[in-house]
Amino acid sequence: MNIVKETSPHLRRSATVTRMMVDVLIALAPTLIFSFIVYPLQTLITYLLSVVIMVSSEFVFVGLKNMMPKDGLKHSFKERFAYAYKGKYNQNNILPPAISAIIFTLIMPAGAPIYAVIVGAFVGIVIGKLVFGGLGSNIFNPAALGMIVAKVCFGSQFNSDVSTWYYSIPDAAAGATPLGLINGGAFANYGAYSIGDMFFGRIPGTLGEVYKVTILLGMIYLLMRKSADFRIVFSYLGTFIFLTLLGGLAVYGLNKDVNPFMFALYNLLSGGVLFGATFMLTDPVTAPINSPSRILYGMIAAVITVFIRFFAALPEGVGFSILIANMIGVALDHYEWSNPRYTWKNILAMALVVVVSGSITYLVIRFGGVYNG
Amino acid sequence: MIEKVIHINDTKKLVGLLPAVRYTQPKYLYIAMGNARCPDAELYIKEGDHVNSCQLIGMRHAAFFDQPIHATCSGTFVGLEKHYHRSGKLTDFIKIENDFQDTLDTTNLKMRTQEEIDALTKDDMVQILKDCASVGLGGSSFPTYVKFQTDKPINMILVNGIECEPYITADHRLMLEYPYRVMDAIKYTMKAFNCKHAKICIKSKYTDIKRVYKQVLKEYEGSGIELCSVGNYYPQGWEVEMIKNATGIRLKPGELPSNRGIINFNASTMVGIYKAVKYNMPVIKRFITVTGDGINYPKNFRVRVGTSIKDLIPMCGGYKDPEKEKVFILGGPMMGASVPSDDCIITKTVTSVIVLNKTEYKEEPCIRCGSCVLSCPVHLEPVQIMNAVKTLDKPRIKMLNPLKCIECGLCSYTCTSKIPLTDYIRKAKIIAKL
Repeated sequence: MNIVKETSPHLRRSATVTRMMVDVLIALAPTLIFSFIVYPLQTLITYLLSVVIMVSSEFVFVGLKNMMPKDGLKHSFKERFAYAYKGKYNQNNILPPAISAIIFTLIMPAGAPIYAVIVGAFVGIVIGKLVFGGLGSNIFNPAALGMIVAKVCFGSQFNSDVSTWYYSIPDAAAGATPLGLINGGAFANYGAYSIGDMFFGRIPGTLGEVYKVTILLGMIYLLMRKSADFRIVFSYLGTFIFLTLLGGLAVYGLNKDVNPFMFALYNLLSGGVLFGATFMLTDPVTAPINSPSRILYGMIAAVITVFIRFFAALPEGVGFSILIANMIGVALDHYEWSNPRYTWKNILAMALVVVVSGSITYLVIRFGGVYNG
Repeated sequence: MIEKVIHINDTKKLVGLLPAVRYTQPKYLYIAMGNARCPDAELYIKEGDHVNSCQLIGMRHAAFFDQPIHATCSGTFVGLEKHYHRSGKLTDFIKIENDFQDTLDTTNLKMRTQEEIDALTKDDMVQILKDCASVGLGGSSFPTYVKFQTDKPINMILVNGIECEPYITADHRLMLEYPYRVMDAIKYTMKAFNCKHAKICIKSKYTDIKRVYKQVLKEYEGSGIELCSVGNYYPQGWEVEMIKNATGIRLKPGELPSNRGIINFNASTMVGIYKAVKYNMPVIKRFITVTGDGINYPKNFRVRVGTSIKDLIPMCGGYKDPEKEKVFILGGPMMGASVPSDDCIITKTVTSVIVLNKTEYKEEPCIRCGSCVLSCPVHLEPVQIMNAVKTLDKPRIKMLNPLKCIECGLCSYTCTSKIPLTDYIRKAKIIAKL
């Protein structure tokens, strides 16, 4: 019998990274399946393309990263291949890109052309993740970055006629997404889609973000398994609801037909708020590590989302807000002020975010001339 | 998963409620010459000399204090032999061949009557504990008399019977089997400090200890001793956590409990104090748990200090799966030291022997899940410290304050990527001290 020495502690718990990633896959599955049922061809093409691009990029990256150093000797390709991949290519190089590919598929607008998908997936994985060093080192959410690049570059070439057997667009909407309708301060248009249709995803939009039922199932699963941090989810959604409610109140002051609560609910169910909160913001790699910072991170992301939606030219702000919050998350982790305890400083920061963003939202909508019927 | 982990898989049921097996007459006994606190030692006996049980046979020297060495059985001094000490080092051990007579040393030992004990002052207690080499038996081996030397007014004595590390049940057995010794020792200590309150802290799930002590406490009515149930989590046995839950006082980092009028002892130290005060007797026997998934029949033992662990293993049915690599741990599985051989000796402060089948954990990249930060009982950020150590960024390491770490091991335990974070923090401590 052989006795070996090791350092304490001698026990480890059973939770693993792989298990967490499988949890995310399980949570994403219902949404992906539903998206496949509603848009069979588009989902299949987008998904296959992005999975192939992302997983193969990661494969090439592993080869480049572990390349055999030049030692003047000749090595066969087989030797060099074995040197680069043996023991270094494992499930951690397959599962995360696959998850990124699924998220990327689900947040791509229905009607995106194939070249946009290819460019988005490639930029997302390479610039969003691999240039930083692969799993655990990336700053940005690869899927969000890929989607933003595809949308910014090719947004005008997206096909807007995407009605399927599952839904038909009401006349009042004329093909616009729920957020497109109220973009540019046209907040009173919010009633064109019924809340029920939005909840069940009977609206134009992205491939996967629109099915709130399946997203909520995934959220509940992730939170129960603790594979996503509830602090981020709840601080994001809470701040979002608070700000949209304030916005609704401001609009109500200008137009008594607007019900502030329905306005907030409409905003919550439109676009990618629930999807982003469940699957993208909670990606632990791009989130800060301390619990107060995580709460602040979710709040900042919500504030940026609301500001982009209400005051910017873009109808939807979840993707951008996630990328900006990713950057702020890195800053929140800086060692000179990161603190895992709730101190008066970070509670003050949270209170400031709420007060400042709330007053800006209310005052600018009420008195800033944003509202235009 | 992303969560605060404080409950470690409860492996105490491996031993369960088995009574401790008495194994007090081994053929040879080994007594350490030096230990981690006192590296040098001198011997008062020569090879071939006959020694009595509890006889003073040598003196360990350290920078600030001396520690007497006592024989733990009667027999013949055979010579010095090298074995593994609890600290993981090969150390000289005094080998005594047992003559199975167990003759007690009459010069040192004396039975004190109740009146004599009542007359003892704190300074007398300090002298007695110094002569009996009483140390913290929970694993710290901190000299008990140093705790008694404090000038601060003490108004609460806490007895630590929590034993929060998984696997170990030695203190549990001791609390169950010797409740009167524990209670008497608390009474002596309360008398010495002239304090009115004492609490025996146990995990709230230990209903058997609670039942025993409720009954025993009836005989000590009015003495001010109470039973106190605290949390079931790890590291509840750490003095700061225990004081927080038992009294509500939060100690600042590095603050001594005596500053707040509290003094705390391990339950097995209390039994040591009882023996020292009542009979002037050093610790010659102790409870020990032999357990782990590498042992066939895990058991509790009451053994003489100095017993070789090699003698105990066959009594536990030997090793399970001998073809597998084993890890041999003296102390708890979270904080205990691993020794490179099973040729080691039970010293006063060894609470358990844990034999685990070696599990290789594959280290994966950190995904910053934050479980280590959430779980850390001293509110450090282990992942940030790891990153700072990797870049050897000294100002950053200092700012992250790794010296606060108590090395409880929760960060490594909880890591989803199986990164040995505790090792990184040990490195950070060295860098921060430079």
